[in-house]
Amino acid sequence: MIFSTTRHENNSDAESFPVGYNSTILKEFVDTLEVLKDTQTLDVGPVCQENISFFALRMGRHYVCDMFLRLKGEKRKELHPADGWKHLDYPDRNFDGIQLWDLCDHLEDDDVSRLVKLCYKMLRATGLLMLIAFEKEPATSIVNTFVIGQGCRVDIRPQPHLELPWKFRHNRALTSLLSRFTIVRSFRYHSGIREFLFKKPGSFRDF
Amino acid sequence: MLKRTKKDENNTPFYGGDTVEEKPIPATPRPTVSQERYTSEEKTTIGERITIEGSIRGEANLVIEGAMKGTIEMGKYNFSIGPKGRVDGEIHAQDVSINGQFKGTIKALGKVAVTQKADFNGEIKAKSFSVEDGAYFKGVVELDRESHKNIAATETPKGPSSPEPAKQSVIPPNDVKMEK
Repeated sequence: MIFSTTRHENNSDAESFPVGYNSTILKEFVDTLEVLKDTQTLDVGPVCQENISFFALRMGRHYVCDMFLRLKGEKRKELHPADGWKHLDYPDRNFDGIQLWDLCDHLEDDDVSRLVKLCYKMLRATGLLMLIAFEKEPATSIVNTFVIGQGCRVDIRPQPHLELPWKFRHNRALTSLLSRFTIVRSFRYHSGIREFLFKKPGSFRDF
Repeated sequence: MLKRTKKDENNTPFYGGDTVEEKPIPATPRPTVSQERYTSEEKTTIGERITIEGSIRGEANLVIEGAMKGTIEMGKYNFSIGPKGRVDGEIHAQDVSINGQFKGTIKALGKVAVTQKADFNGEIKAKSFSVEDGAYFKGVVELDRESHKNIAATETPKGPSSPEPAKQSVIPPNDVKMEK
């Protein structure tokens, strides 16, 4: 079994990590979208078998584009991360839900803004955007996958092949970057994981 | 068995100022995709130095180690792309295993497996799907929801269907405040 640790800058005691939890936001995301007809969802990675099967069995069509791996590739080639966004070349108003997981934690503000703009375009009106943000800097720069289990329980699996810089944002900074969306719900878990559910404004689902 | 604690039936919103405590648990084990083995069955291999453009139909398991552009129709037989194989087109087969490069559409009667070495860009329609962490993957996945529902209906759990609810405790608000 693999363990890694998180460490707050003011706390030298390493806390045990990862942390599994029952995700209320994920449940709301799934419950809302599952009842729609011909639902299309997008997961920006990292690639995770459990998550793909979970969504593909509940939604009409589940899209996956692993932006973590692509951003790492751009970084390795010393290209600007902006070059990576070309991979999110989906039509406008294509998705009912987008899973960003903790991608924003690995991006500078300019790139978060680019990503948010793209998500806004790709989402249908009333579409949902779910994201996670860590409150404490992980001890390593290894990216984690949030693995969906039974009953919307989320566990964490480190991805040793993925290392990306990490950036902390206060809630206010994060919600400010996503201000074009309406915030539906947000939670903070004692483990330091924060979850947010945003909605694209609109009175009805357009597609 | 995973152990955890849960503080309340509903988790706590930021603006409520409470937090939910969860106990650390072991990391979820990394899934692995079993490589297709055709040792006991007849199989045809298209070698690394072979390039095909057009269509292939067959009644034997097929492995492509070279390059192929076009349509592959294997019916109830299995199809596999080797680590150095490259396929651009449409695949119809029983089970499909992608270890190399693929661009296009896969329609499988059974399972599609994508390994860590794969570079996948396309669409999958199958009964079940597996992918290894680290695979270069961009795609659309549609699984047979009906067969899954039927399996779920026949496999009635003997015990509780969800994990045992964990204990919860409410912790006073800390530095996290939600601005709505």
